[in-house]
Amino acid sequence: MLVCEYLIRAAHQFPAKIALVRGEDRYTYTQLWHAANSVANWLTASHYPPGFRGAILTDDPFEYISLYFGIQQAGGIVVGLNTQTAERSLLATLGDCGAAVVFANSKFVRQVDKVAACLPFLKHMVCDSGGEAGLAASSSSERASLTDVLLSDNVQPPSLPQPLRGSDIAQIIYTSGTTGTPKGVMLRHENLVANTESIINYLHLTAEDRGMAVLPFFYSYGNSVLLTHVAAGAGLVVNQNFVYPNVILDEMQREQVTGFAGVPSTFALLLHRSAVRNYSFPSLRYLTQAGAAMAPKLARALKEVFPGVDIFVMYGQTEASPRLSYLPPGDLQRKPGSIGKAIPGVKLQLLDPAGRSVGLREVGEIVAQGKNIMAGYWGRPEESATVLTRDGLRTGDLAWMDEEGFFYIFSRKSDVIKSGSHRIAPKEIEEIIHEHEAVHEVAVIGVEDEILGEALKACVVLKAGRGCTEREIVIHCRKNLPAFKVPHLVDFHSELPKTATGKICKGKLGGRTSRIPPPGERGKP
Amino acid sequence: MQDMSDDKKLIREFMLENFLFGSEESALADDASFLDQGIIDSTGVLELTSWLEETFSIQFFDEEMLPENLDSVNKLLVFIKKKKGLGVADACL
Repeated sequence: MLVCEYLIRAAHQFPAKIALVRGEDRYTYTQLWHAANSVANWLTASHYPPGFRGAILTDDPFEYISLYFGIQQAGGIVVGLNTQTAERSLLATLGDCGAAVVFANSKFVRQVDKVAACLPFLKHMVCDSGGEAGLAASSSSERASLTDVLLSDNVQPPSLPQPLRGSDIAQIIYTSGTTGTPKGVMLRHENLVANTESIINYLHLTAEDRGMAVLPFFYSYGNSVLLTHVAAGAGLVVNQNFVYPNVILDEMQREQVTGFAGVPSTFALLLHRSAVRNYSFPSLRYLTQAGAAMAPKLARALKEVFPGVDIFVMYGQTEASPRLSYLPPGDLQRKPGSIGKAIPGVKLQLLDPAGRSVGLREVGEIVAQGKNIMAGYWGRPEESATVLTRDGLRTGDLAWMDEEGFFYIFSRKSDVIKSGSHRIAPKEIEEIIHEHEAVHEVAVIGVEDEILGEALKACVVLKAGRGCTEREIVIHCRKNLPAFKVPHLVDFHSELPKTATGKICKGKLGGRTSRIPPPGERGKP
Repeated sequence: MQDMSDDKKLIREFMLENFLFGSEESALADDASFLDQGIIDSTGVLELTSWLEETFSIQFFDEEMLPENLDSVNKLLVFIKKKKGLGVADACL
């Protein structure tokens, strides 16, 4: 089975079924399939070789889904780009994967235009408007119309010179590395298919389901929400803008969704900053949370607000396509704080640094085996070999296991910060802040935050005799980083705590703080 | 009582200072959607409402956290006026 065959199968089994709801717009499986075929036929006619990288930069779900499956049907590798990206990151990602074609929604054309001249492998830029003159002047890439490519009359399935195999790379997902340079996680068709089937199995997803998708598809969690629903022939209601949770709740009620996937900050916003208690969701069957274990207090609150709804806590990482474990709803209150057990088809072990299994209730690194484990990091054989060991995928997450085999996260080996739905490498932010002329040294840490899980705090030491304000640091970051990587807090220090070898002790810089007033301090009737 | 044009000035200053980081005045049109322009995210809305509550001595209820109340300078002015029990016609002065 190939990932792109999911859409073909759904279009044959449920041709007239609504596959996608985007605001007032409705798209059937046939419409998505035809658009994907149109994309694939254009790529085939443009003579893209097998394994080419096709990058997608759009916040429109119809475009994203059609392009995603179209690129794969044409034998290409999908690279979904973060729509909240700065030029520097965009250039780094497109350059790293050697994208041959970029499909950009008109909102993002200007950004791609600015970096196109620095991308020697870029053959086509497919977009509708904005910046045409700029591209012509700055790049040798050809331009094509996104609307024409998506909605041509050529909707027959493409014929490929050679058939695709399950071991072919289907997708590269960029993820924050500890080095600060995003790494491209290569996922084979068979990796994604194995994980998709397993998730469908434990969530009992069927064609009768209709999921609410608020998480972006370019991250692995959103990607798995997309694939599981298409594979099950289910429907998706997509609104990836969570600025106004009440708008999402209206849609959930109106569209009678059966499932909702979120990260801890999603549920914190729903519980504390929305009118969720004024709604009822008779169709809602389940909630899923990934990104962290669920705090017992949050679990209790969700059970109260969503009575009779199954709550699945899940754990994984992009390198595992992404799911590795889940906590069955029936164990949520019995096993508070647990990430559950391995999903079907996955084996989890806890190993010490020497590769030996640790005992019950002893802390070890989670090491995973299964068909869902990535092929490696794109163009980084040494880093791939570091995590893909004989024992399996070394996740970098430390955990312990109880007598019944339930896992509990203890800490992360890396200092990656989980803020909202984002994974952020502090080093990338530190490098940017360090470029400020007044900064001597800096450490960026995650501090507990009521809504985000972790907020970003920059601890800055200025050069002798130099002055600089918090606002100047923030403006500097704003110019060079996407909004979600801009520190929420900036503290100035005379020096940073160090180890004997001169390494900054980030553990001594932490402390609970929040920039947002806690629930209850805002106005209540 | 504070004049509406003062309210607009205050809101614009806050938005420019905190979300547009001192950009030119022209960077923020009074009827521009904060959402469509990518000016504000989910936590930004919370910062904005906290500031509005404190500055204008009003209270936001959970069901009022909607784009029709919060998503542009003009919408904020109308909403603040409504909360204060003033006539809507004066809101966007």
